[in-house]
Amino acid sequence: MKTIIDDIRARFSVEWEHEQRADLAQIGVAPGTVVPLLTWMKLHTPFVQLNHLSVVDWLEDGEFQLTYLLTDPHGHRSLMVCTRIPREEATMESVHELWPQAVTYEQEINEMFGIHFPGSPRQGVPFILEGWDDLPPMRRDFDTVAYMHAHHPSRPGREHVDPRVYVGKVFGERGYLHDDD
Amino acid sequence: MTTTETLRRRVQLWFGPQHPGITGNMSVQAWLEGDTLTQGITHVGYLHRAFEKLMERRKFIQSFPIVCRICVPEPDTNEYLLAAALEELSGLDREVPEKALWIRTLVLEMSRLAAMLQVLGGHVGSMGLGVVPNWTYTLRDYVLDRFEELTGARVYHMYTVFGGVRRDLPEGFAERMETEVLAKIEAKLPVIDNAIFDSSVFRKRAIGVGVVPEEWADEMGISGPVVRAMGIPRDTRKDFPYLKYPELDFEVVTTTGSDIYARAWIRRQEIAQSVDLIRQILRRMPTEGPYCAKLPNMLTWTIPPGQTYVRAEASRGEMGYYVVTDGSDKMRRVHVRGPSYVHGVSLLERLIPGTNIADLSPLMVSLQTCPPEIER
Amino acid sequence: MEKRKLPVLPVAAPPEGSRPHAPLGEGCFLGEEELPKAPALKEALATIKNWFRAQSLWVMAYGTGCGAIELRPLTTARFDMERFGMAMRPTPRQSNVLIVSGYLATKSLKRVIRAYEQMPSPKWIVGLGSCTINGGMYWDSYNTINRLDLYLPVDVYIAGCMPRPEALIEGFKYLMERVKKGEANGWHHYLENLDWYKANQKKLITDWNLPDYNW
Repeated sequence: MKTIIDDIRARFSVEWEHEQRADLAQIGVAPGTVVPLLTWMKLHTPFVQLNHLSVVDWLEDGEFQLTYLLTDPHGHRSLMVCTRIPREEATMESVHELWPQAVTYEQEINEMFGIHFPGSPRQGVPFILEGWDDLPPMRRDFDTVAYMHAHHPSRPGREHVDPRVYVGKVFGERGYLHDDD
Repeated sequence: MTTTETLRRRVQLWFGPQHPGITGNMSVQAWLEGDTLTQGITHVGYLHRAFEKLMERRKFIQSFPIVCRICVPEPDTNEYLLAAALEELSGLDREVPEKALWIRTLVLEMSRLAAMLQVLGGHVGSMGLGVVPNWTYTLRDYVLDRFEELTGARVYHMYTVFGGVRRDLPEGFAERMETEVLAKIEAKLPVIDNAIFDSSVFRKRAIGVGVVPEEWADEMGISGPVVRAMGIPRDTRKDFPYLKYPELDFEVVTTTGSDIYARAWIRRQEIAQSVDLIRQILRRMPTEGPYCAKLPNMLTWTIPPGQTYVRAEASRGEMGYYVVTDGSDKMRRVHVRGPSYVHGVSLLERLIPGTNIADLSPLMVSLQTCPPEIER
Repeated sequence: MEKRKLPVLPVAAPPEGSRPHAPLGEGCFLGEEELPKAPALKEALATIKNWFRAQSLWVMAYGTGCGAIELRPLTTARFDMERFGMAMRPTPRQSNVLIVSGYLATKSLKRVIRAYEQMPSPKWIVGLGSCTINGGMYWDSYNTINRLDLYLPVDVYIAGCMPRPEALIEGFKYLMERVKKGEANGWHHYLENLDWYKANQKKLITDWNLPDYNW
């Protein structure tokens, strides 16, 4: 794992690195570095497989984190490439020409987070939702409970109980759960 | 316009969501020329429940009842993966007792067996041979009976939690497993072999149909029986060892051909392998010791910031969980990467052109498309 | 023969809090005008009709949700639903029971409505699992409905997540009893309150592109 990160460091600027497990390392790069880095990795290293592409919404920082997970299917190890892009008008370069299945990931991210991948086919084509006219639902500022109250009427009689209060009422102040404090 | 051109009109056809041959609630929008499919687009979203969004709103322990619902035939992989990811991020993984690891391995293998039996029946059921699914579903029911004994539920077990499992093995579980499940499956397997692999109908319809080229394996990330049917010995249990699999004695089953027949054959072999693995696990399982670590208070438990990706071998292929925590008592993000995400959308759409319309349903079964894990 | 029209009945929204389909009093809906005038004979014929209907519940094989996994074991020899005269049918045109097996995403709801309306009357809906009753574990999801009976008339609910095959059999037996007594009139209620149901459906499904009734 160390050698491949050193190789990457020699060619690209890496913002941070972290070894999570013996078979999983994580690096952070600038958004512009991602596609050259992934292209190089697919062509010149054993990390040829794009396992998944995911987005984390860091609402407080105003940023989206994109995570590409590359796997070396013969050496049995993985590398997570993370990058952060601004949340406003989020746009990212597409990798669908390197991996055909990235089209689906990018289509879903476009729908669920509103990140645009120029050039990727099926951008703007609904994948999971139908007739959706609200914020992209996986964004953290989209409130699913408010949406539920507005669109899906509930049957009366459903009570909401704070578990801490409930456990305290039934089992005494300390609660019955294992708690050393 | 000549007659041939008239006949070559493209007909659009929706295959599903209400269709007896579709694997779950999904649909394929297909275009036909004659009875040959020229193009297909997978449509999902009929089962979208927003698991990932809901888990961002729930405490760690509250995520458990939700997570097993992501794949109905095989819920335990999801439970284990969520537990494994959160244990890794919180450092609890060093405290999981030995016995819990063995029970988890047992549960994973049992759920693989149940799902494998179901899909082997589906292979021939989708071709109109209805008797084999009746047998395999009954055999699967026997596995579910043992699940019920162990966990209290037939389908959704909610059994694997952080730090171990919820309950110890009952008294006499191993004997009942042997006599009421494994022996019955082994007795039935030769009959099933006869009905499937010696059936001329199945051979004619399965050999050479739905061939996945070997060069797609690496770039698309194909896994599970689909990749092992190409002759590539790729199995997460061997490649990225987890739980007690490194201590168990098994070989990765491979074959060549990469068609529907080869994939059915792999599943048939893996049923036998699962039976053998369950025997090994029950033999080597420690009888004494705790089955769950001492857990922190689940109502106030927080996990330090971090991100990880854990994977396990489901019956369909490699299943992975990407979990991000931010130091609070809820997950920041959880992304479920099911094997069907690649198999059911990108791979299926690439395989459809040139397929006969009658082969679409067997093809989807052989890829073991599970729509809930595509859309979560 | 003249084509039967939808009955033109005064449509009123069910009052708040009432059960959406209270028994209608008249047990047998189909073909009243063809029945003999004598009340006793009419009643006897209705009883026979309902008895026949209860013995041949044909279930549409549409796995709308995860509960569908417990439907397949029902057809095997272990639970054997054919002993109750029930069978799985592949198309809506041949079936008269629609099992909504769990949560319904809005995208799915549209297809279920279409499939339900294509089924020939008399037809019944079985709501399977807690999520059809009050949203169950997905109560706060933006994409699943919380109450099925706002959109389609449900005759029997089977609670649980997920209900065991024995619970399903129990539910079906209850449905049979109600059909025999002429109480399972959800389909009748659907036609009577079509405007109310359609308004609910269209409120949720914004890109409504179905005909008003799918024959």
